[in-house]
Amino acid sequence: MNIEEYISSGILEAHALGELSEKENQEVMAMLEKHPELKEELSLIEDSLERMAFEIAITPPAGAKDKLFGQPEIKDKPEAKVVSLEKTSEASSYWRYIAAASVSLAVISSVLAYNYWNKWQSTETALNTLIAQNERVAEDYNHVNQQLDQIEEDLKVINNTEFKRVAMKGTDNSPNSLAFVYWNTNSQEVFLSVQNLKDLTEEKQYQLWAIIDGAPVDAGVFNPGESNLLKMKNIASGAAAFAVTIEPKGGSENPSLETMQVVGEVAQG
Amino acid sequence: MSQQTQIAQNELIALLKKQDKNAMHYLYDNYSAALYGAIVRIVNDEKVAEEVLNDAFLKIWDKIDTYDAKKGRLFTWMLNLTRNLSIDKLRSKEIKKVKKTDDISDNVYNIERDNLIQQREEDIGVKDLLQKLREEERLVVDLVYFRGFTQSEVSDEYAIPLGTVKTRLRMALKNLRNVLGVKQ
Repeated sequence: MNIEEYISSGILEAHALGELSEKENQEVMAMLEKHPELKEELSLIEDSLERMAFEIAITPPAGAKDKLFGQPEIKDKPEAKVVSLEKTSEASSYWRYIAAASVSLAVISSVLAYNYWNKWQSTETALNTLIAQNERVAEDYNHVNQQLDQIEEDLKVINNTEFKRVAMKGTDNSPNSLAFVYWNTNSQEVFLSVQNLKDLTEEKQYQLWAIIDGAPVDAGVFNPGESNLLKMKNIASGAAAFAVTIEPKGGSENPSLETMQVVGEVAQG
Repeated sequence: MSQQTQIAQNELIALLKKQDKNAMHYLYDNYSAALYGAIVRIVNDEKVAEEVLNDAFLKIWDKIDTYDAKKGRLFTWMLNLTRNLSIDKLRSKEIKKVKKTDDISDNVYNIERDNLIQQREEDIGVKDLLQKLREEERLVVDLVYFRGFTQSEVSDEYAIPLGTVKTRLRMALKNLRNVLGVKQ
């Protein structure tokens, strides 16, 4: 992330407003150390916040200040508090036990508080990890679900007896190639299932042809590497065979017969 | 601030850390109004606001040792401390109200907040300051700065993506720089 993006994410504002966790604050401070321009920006933000507060300032009630400075917390300095505690402790050992007990209690609570804070922190990290994992699982699930839908659609075609299955076997150009055409002579729909066709360069595509009355009719182009059933152009009845050639991207009007990869005759009847 | 003797920030901080009472007086004289203004707008009750102001200064006095100049300005630190106290107060008040009316609906808290927003419309000082902003920016500044919402709360309650809230707040503060006279 560059500095501009970092600034425009609004993290400095969140830092200035005290909204970040201790860990995030540490990260911001590390960034501030590294990049003087961030310090400048933070200073502008703090300046805005401060000026805004003065812009809408309201003078507190008259007695508020005297009341505040009359309170023991401010009136007596902390040093004075310690001294007075020692004095009273001489007066009675009872108070000494009370004091010792409260100190122990304070220490124990601090340890517990720190302990719980740590636990809370690690719980939060664990929760975030789980949320991220959950999102990934949901994504995977969607992906699988879509694939399943596609396969169900494919199966409907394959299991439909109205579709004629034409096996197109490899020509001398590529003896190992294999593809199937599923052709419904009533609805004229044509689907293609690629079993094995070699990869092509970016500028080339495969093109499917139907041979009707000895003449090739374009049935659409496709890319190598498709694993699902491909919907091709409709072909009216009368096709005696199907074939696939390699053509420039977008397809040709007439097939380049010398590039023919697979061909198969339609079983009659 | 003009009548007061100007004390340099780091000197002020050093004095406060030494628990110097004059420094505390200086702090009160210069900053209590700015802090009180922020409190009043969050708790929306002058009596309660005075309590919170009192607690805030006691806490500043008590916790000044934990202030770290590397993290930001003294005022930012004081303001956040004060805002947090105000929000805590507001919540404890609202929890009491919920208990009193024996209403377990989660909405009470929101209704309370909505009422306050309506009243906020009449806050001339805030209105003047924010009038230059676009509607959506004004909402975010009002909620976050003057009402003490966190940006995540704004995102949750107004169904605005958190990233959008952050950008709007940032743009709003940027657009306010001229009005406020921030030197860029």
